[in-house]
Amino acid sequence: MLIPEPKFSDAVLVVGAGIAGMQTALDLAAMNHSVYLLDRSATIGGNMARLDKTFPTNDCSTCMISPRMVACARNPRIKIITLAELMDLQGEPGRFTASIRRHPRYVDEKLCIGCRQCVEKCPKKAPNAFNASLDSRKAIHFVHPQAIPMAPAVDTANCIYFQKGRCRACEKVCPTKAVKLDEGKPEDLQIEVGAVILSAGFELALVPQAGEYGHGRYPNVVTSLEYERMLSATGPFGGHPQRPSDGAKPGRIAWIQCVASRDSARNRNFCSSVCCMAAVKQALITREHDAESEAAIFYMDIRAHGKDFDRYVLRAKDTYGVRFVRSMLSQVVQNPENGNLLLQYYDRDSLEQAQEEFDMVVLSAGMKPAPRIMPLLNRLGLALNRYGFVEPDFEQPSNTSREGVFVCGALDGPKDIPESVTGASAAAAGVAALLAEYRSGETVGEEVRSLRDVSKEAPRIGVFVCHCGKNIAGVIQVEALRDFALTLPHVVAAEDFLFTCSTQTQERIKELIRDNGLNRVVVAACSPRTHEPLFRETLQQAGINKYLFEMANIRDQCSWVHGKEPEAATEKARQLIQGAVARASLLEPIEEVVTQVVHRALVIGGGLAGMTAALALADQEIHAILVEKDAQTGGMAREIHHTLEGHSPRRLAQALALRVKTHRNITLYTWAEIKALSGGPGHFSGIVERKGKSVPVDFGAIIVATGGQPYVPSEYFYGLHPGVMTQLELENRLFTHQGPLPHTTVMIQCIGSRREDFPLCSRICCSAAVKNAILLMEKNPAGSVYVLYRDIRTFGFKEDYYKRARDLGVIFIKYEPEAPPEVQVEDGALEVKVFDPASAMHLEIKPEILVLSSGVRPRPEAVSIAKMLKLPMMQEGFFMEAHPKLSPLDFSSAGIFLCGLAHSPRFMEESLAQARGAAARAAGLLLQKEIHTSGVVAEVNRERCCSCLTCVYCCPYKVPSMDAQGISVIDPRKCQGCGICAADCPAKAITLKHYTDAQMAAQTEAASSR
Amino acid sequence: MTRLAYYPGCALQSMNWDYRESIKEVVAALDIELMEIEGWTCCGATAAHSLDEKMSLALPARNLSASQQMGLDLAVACPMCFKRLSHSRQMLLQQKLSGPWTVDPNLAIYDLARFLATDSMLEQIKSRVILPLTGLRVVCYYGCQVVRPPKITGFEDYENPQHLDRIAAVAGATPIDWSFKATCCGASMGIPKKEIGLSLVKKLLHWAHASGAQAIVVCCPLCQSNLDLYQPEIRRQADADPTTPALPILYYTELLGIAFGLEAILPGLNSHLVDPLPLITQLLNH
Repeated sequence: MLIPEPKFSDAVLVVGAGIAGMQTALDLAAMNHSVYLLDRSATIGGNMARLDKTFPTNDCSTCMISPRMVACARNPRIKIITLAELMDLQGEPGRFTASIRRHPRYVDEKLCIGCRQCVEKCPKKAPNAFNASLDSRKAIHFVHPQAIPMAPAVDTANCIYFQKGRCRACEKVCPTKAVKLDEGKPEDLQIEVGAVILSAGFELALVPQAGEYGHGRYPNVVTSLEYERMLSATGPFGGHPQRPSDGAKPGRIAWIQCVASRDSARNRNFCSSVCCMAAVKQALITREHDAESEAAIFYMDIRAHGKDFDRYVLRAKDTYGVRFVRSMLSQVVQNPENGNLLLQYYDRDSLEQAQEEFDMVVLSAGMKPAPRIMPLLNRLGLALNRYGFVEPDFEQPSNTSREGVFVCGALDGPKDIPESVTGASAAAAGVAALLAEYRSGETVGEEVRSLRDVSKEAPRIGVFVCHCGKNIAGVIQVEALRDFALTLPHVVAAEDFLFTCSTQTQERIKELIRDNGLNRVVVAACSPRTHEPLFRETLQQAGINKYLFEMANIRDQCSWVHGKEPEAATEKARQLIQGAVARASLLEPIEEVVTQVVHRALVIGGGLAGMTAALALADQEIHAILVEKDAQTGGMAREIHHTLEGHSPRRLAQALALRVKTHRNITLYTWAEIKALSGGPGHFSGIVERKGKSVPVDFGAIIVATGGQPYVPSEYFYGLHPGVMTQLELENRLFTHQGPLPHTTVMIQCIGSRREDFPLCSRICCSAAVKNAILLMEKNPAGSVYVLYRDIRTFGFKEDYYKRARDLGVIFIKYEPEAPPEVQVEDGALEVKVFDPASAMHLEIKPEILVLSSGVRPRPEAVSIAKMLKLPMMQEGFFMEAHPKLSPLDFSSAGIFLCGLAHSPRFMEESLAQARGAAARAAGLLLQKEIHTSGVVAEVNRERCCSCLTCVYCCPYKVPSMDAQGISVIDPRKCQGCGICAADCPAKAITLKHYTDAQMAAQTEAASSR
Repeated sequence: MTRLAYYPGCALQSMNWDYRESIKEVVAALDIELMEIEGWTCCGATAAHSLDEKMSLALPARNLSASQQMGLDLAVACPMCFKRLSHSRQMLLQQKLSGPWTVDPNLAIYDLARFLATDSMLEQIKSRVILPLTGLRVVCYYGCQVVRPPKITGFEDYENPQHLDRIAAVAGATPIDWSFKATCCGASMGIPKKEIGLSLVKKLLHWAHASGAQAIVVCCPLCQSNLDLYQPEIRRQADADPTTPALPILYYTELLGIAFGLEAILPGLNSHLVDPLPLITQLLNH
């Protein structure tokens, strides 16, 4: 008898719904995969939802993450399963069977409308873990205000019903009978998937009670995440930090860096990568919030190695007066009289021990993988590194040791948000390549329906007022508003609904549209931010153009904030509806621009990043055109023998070159440049110029991978003395055995970086120095190597090599930028003078070799690409992505993506991750048949345009351009509909469709009239 | 009756006889028989390990071996002795030390204070308390030797040890948490560099007082000596505040002796330079 085999599946299971999990789910869904997005807690969002602001932009974390959360919730391909864990995985890539255990929520997510009556009525409080137990929440609770699914969960350990058999108040008060306290058994599910992505994130590694810093012992010693909650406006103190001991405002706050990181004694020698920037951010925000506060950061090295991070640190220091004290603290002492903390440190100015008192101490604690995930990692048999993180692979950074199981986010190493998002996209690319042959081939797009032509009709408006359970109706008189609406001009139908967003109501709305011949709809309910797309789709399904819809927010902007003044709230709602109806009557149907997508991508640059991006696309059966300026592919990788970890970039470059040359889905042009780029997302065109010949090409997306090059020093006798060389040159010398081994070597860090004209960190130079220093000491143990540095930035697991270098006897000497090392040449011999703060001595060293750790610069060719595609650049010449945190690989211009050194200095494995990530982003676009761009775009009245160029300068997306007649042209495919040009145009030549002056004026006037 | 091999250590033989006597009385009251190792000799303490590693391991190993022959677990009164004996034991078990000494992995070494702070012992102590020291506010000072290094001493809560606090609590006193439980008192520094010893003791006394303590409970003879013997001199210094009361320094066994109503410890208490009796009598009169 034949045992039926599991079918191949292109579905993907994502374990962990933090920012990485959500990003990978969205990327996979865009590439037509169905996704099961799991999270162990009752909501998606992870740790990022707990942050206040994020560095280096100081954007509000919730503002950035909630659109991603909503996008996951609304995506028809993503199925969110919360309170669930992956128990086991059987099978093989392409046909896994995943066993999932789902714990009971005791609330039916389908029935819950998020009215929060249950939470209000619940009599039992418990410590609120989301706010680090700084305040309490009820036994039935939402994890946080933006929780998705928007339904509470019951904490049975603290619930009176589960502990004592009484109460059940939540059940009684629920208007939809969604609370079901008796339906509580863990459910075991089996799902068939093709691949699994682990994105379970991190927890802080804290040493409670036993620790030297007194966390859990001294009330005013808090962790970084606790302080983050204190700073957050939605936190326990409304954004005004309080001391746990007495509730007083903390005036003097100290941060202690490297807590439970860089700690060999606790077998946690690695660096947690993000804590320096997180502390600087918290200190900056604290100083910004309260000008009288004092902020001091006690550190060993400030690791601001990310894009634009050093600028941020300088700002914190110079503009906000954050104090940086380089002294590692061994203990925190509590002053018993007032709960203050006393810190003893080494003062480098007086060269003596100093003591200071602070009101509060924040511990920048390191990361560890969440302990709950460890049994699963063991069961899956994954290779872990010595610190318990999933071992990352150099060439395929998102692969684990088990085929078909991928990893992203902090689970394979501490990293910040942009790196997590990049890794998430890279994991999606990995999955897509693996499952390409099993792809079901269906594209789910919006069905094009025939719409009724309403252009000749007078407006016939339907107004639907929502109760939203008790959310609105509890404050506002909904029926009265419904009756009022009928009195307004052009309104021919009005109805009120308990929950306008429910599926039944959509059907009723469609019915009303048909029966009353409605050609415009106003919904007075919650926020268009979350629900406008839903109602627009309802209109489309009813045969009406979706832009004939208007929403009045009488909940978030009315009943929720005026809960104590019901009469005034009702009056305000009346005015809001009046305004909405006035605008609706002037709304026009808008056609969206449809572009047929060309299923090909252009990759500019054939280095490691470019080749990897091209291969990631090609493996997914998407054709890639790879254009490389040099005779060979490989870029910088060709010149490097070994990485710090011992991998061979040259070998990798060669392997990739071979694959690229022979792949059926890649067309490689070497000795070629791309010219005359034009077009928009979905369909670009250009000309490949190669040895005098021109080849026209067209493609749907572009990946920019123009790479980088070393900074060529002009300082310290480089080029003038044979003993002065760069790290690259030294490495080459060592590997090719050129010249004698030096007895004494001096290395100077930060050459060409972190200075006035280039205030950025080049990220890789500390590791390069450590790498070569170790090589030198291993080859010549009797020799001396001195590394003169400003901060040693061997972040993440590279910290182990820094320790190894020190164990081998490499001497590290810190210098201040105001007193850099001096180099002289005396009788042909090099002499280096530097002040060593550790010994307080002025050293004179006579090395045979002086190595300059010179930084990374972008390739100059990038400028012409930027001009052609109107891509923004930083003043240092690296490209500017759409958003440094959440969209590091996208440009604001749709259809164009970025990876590699062109983005910023990075290690090879980071470029590889970015390249795969960019490929995933591009594939999401390229796998669609056609793309619709929003109809809300700016339009130029050609007769009125006076060619003043105001719109060109003010557009943040660089969309308007001047045509041959000097008239502004705005490509509707690229316009983001922000309206800035329409507002700025002095000739009033630009109209923002769907927000015309007439529409807005009518709305304003109607809303303000009594 | 609990029987343990016992290593008193040199300090208890001479200057710190008050600790020795209080141990004797308290263990008798707790039905514990401490059997002194026959012919025990100095463990080497600081002197040995700062001069010669082999000797520093051999001296305790000899005593350890002798105690093993008694077939009993070993209790050690002095934290330094405890640590040196534990170190030798570990080296012997790991076969990193060669010599004519035997060690049985099933026989444990206890530092006496921790032994008395186990749950079962605390139960017994509680039942013997007849004069609970209610209202006596103490800080517990463990000294730097007993917790470090954790790999040898077996402490997990080495930054915030608890065992003396538990003993004090069961005796009815109120142990107050403070940040200096294991901060150095100067140890034998008081002899070659007295000013260092004085300044360290002064700091500890200051913080003990600032924490609201009326007395300090210790488990180490050298700590007791430093904190007690230097106190009068420190109180005579120019910057001292005469209104701050003196802080009696009590061994945990003395604390228990008072709580058990054992008059035999009175001579020992009398020998302290900072007389604890006024505080105790005032407390017990309430």
